[in-house]
Amino acid sequence: MIWTVAVSLLGLMSLSIPVGIVLFILGIGVGELFSMFPLLRGLGQVVWSSSSSSTLIAIPLFVLLGEILVRGGVAARTYGALDKWLSWLPGGLIHANIATATMFSATSGSSVATAATVATVAMPQADRLNYDPKLFSGAIAAGGTLGILIPPSINLIVYGFLTETSIPQLFSAGLLPGLLMALAFVIVTALICVARPKLGGPSRSFSWGERARSLVQLVPIIILFVVVIGSIYAGWATPTESAAIGVVIAALIAMTLGTGLGLATIAEALHGTIRISAMIMLVITGAYFLNFAMTSAGLGRQLTDLLQNTGLPPIGTLLLVVLLYLILGFFIETLSLMVATIPIIVPIIAELGYDKVWFGVLMIVLIEMALITPPVGLNLFVVQGARSKGSMNDVILGVIPYVLVMLAMIALLIAAPGLALWLPSIL
Amino acid sequence: MSRIATLEGALRRANRLVALILGVALVATVLFVLIDVIGRKTGWGSLGGSDEISGYVMAAVASWGLACALLDRAHVRIDLIRQRLAAPGQALMDLFAMIVTNGVVLLIAYYCWPVLQKTLERGSRANTPLETPLWIPQGIWFGGWAWFAFSATALSLIAIAYLVQGRRSELAASIGLGSELEQ
Repeated sequence: MIWTVAVSLLGLMSLSIPVGIVLFILGIGVGELFSMFPLLRGLGQVVWSSSSSSTLIAIPLFVLLGEILVRGGVAARTYGALDKWLSWLPGGLIHANIATATMFSATSGSSVATAATVATVAMPQADRLNYDPKLFSGAIAAGGTLGILIPPSINLIVYGFLTETSIPQLFSAGLLPGLLMALAFVIVTALICVARPKLGGPSRSFSWGERARSLVQLVPIIILFVVVIGSIYAGWATPTESAAIGVVIAALIAMTLGTGLGLATIAEALHGTIRISAMIMLVITGAYFLNFAMTSAGLGRQLTDLLQNTGLPPIGTLLLVVLLYLILGFFIETLSLMVATIPIIVPIIAELGYDKVWFGVLMIVLIEMALITPPVGLNLFVVQGARSKGSMNDVILGVIPYVLVMLAMIALLIAAPGLALWLPSIL
Repeated sequence: MSRIATLEGALRRANRLVALILGVALVATVLFVLIDVIGRKTGWGSLGGSDEISGYVMAAVASWGLACALLDRAHVRIDLIRQRLAAPGQALMDLFAMIVTNGVVLLIAYYCWPVLQKTLERGSRANTPLETPLWIPQGIWFGGWAWFAFSATALSLIAIAYLVQGRRSELAASIGLGSELEQ
């Protein structure tokens, strides 16, 4: 059954049938072919109980938060402020790219929207200051991916919901690896620009007075982040409640520090939120039904058999899984890759005795790579779309150093699981 | 404008309106949750039930919103083979995907009905302090799937009509592959 499902999954997806619909077809197929019970009769009930969830409403709320920040024009001013703080480093503005992308994608939870916004703001500067377009655009594409790891992350909520893992625990597990990776991006950029100064632009210094004044732009966003994450960690708000608080703070920020929130902007943000949330929900509901169908059809016993027959030690199987994600990541878009594989892969990993919170973080880093690896890396297209000239190859070459950092992070997470699990253990 | 394009435009406007209504419901939920949190923290006492209500709003978004996402071509599709084909091949793949989607959505909507039907027969209420009569949220939810099924069927027919008339660019604009860049 596992192989049949895996092969049909890839087959149907490559026919360009919507991913959520593919998952439903597979669920129905498993029910008809492998189960002794008529699972189809339970379809309606599964769809109802998986979607009427107060946990999941955190997803549209975080999407709305991001839409408000992005459409409210906060990004450009944040970029300007971060430029004043970071441009003295070798590589100059590239660090502002990384930092803005990290900050925005972390608070908004959307990698693609962040990459698009930062690219629009940053690209004109690259020309003006004579930056090498490769590293400059690569940094935006890569920086944008960090948001799905640094909480609040929509992908972590989806993972927690589908695998019945605690979302606050996942959020705290993602924090250190996410920040560490942002730091590593900055260090790698600086090293590259020291070795090959032509790749970066001019280092520029700003006075402390200018920096202090720019804090007006930065502090509110940091407050937003701290309130949203802190209230979850401190245990006085659920992810849903903290998302609701975040929406209000984001609206205040957009009204005071951004370009404002007119009725048209609000309508656009709401429309965008519903579009993105519904897209995510179709995939989640489909995965939930497939999950239900496979479990009812005896997935547990089959997994045990499968694992006993491979004769690999747990670490061997784990590396195989990592390899699988690396390969699939070239072709399948992030959320689909994650949601479609969870019903098959996570039970295997749990059966091997690995921690589900830890694997959640590892999986997110793996799918972050999928965002910036050709031919289907969404962020590559988004950044290229915001550039008025040049070829896609520039962006692809530019992300290579950051892909290497991600690979190192994957190795580090496997070698030292404590990197992810330490923070959840003390909270 | 041809009659088909008029129909498509009407379907689009209807779904835009649905999205706005859902968006407003979402904002109302934000305020409700917020009042609940503030009430709890300040000790004024909470209204209670914000968990339950937000679950119902989620179910409404996750059913009524599906058609909006369909019309906006926002449902994720993998472009691996399709992008290598010439325009006629792409049109055929788009139509194939649309019809498969249509069939599956009709099937799901059909199997969603018994959930509401049983609730109506038994007069079930939620097992919570609010004791919400479940037919209300489930009725809204089922309506969303029925609307998704209707929108998908209408869109399939519109697409077939475009194909028959050989209007390929309209076909691509209605059921082709949406890109996140356009949003």
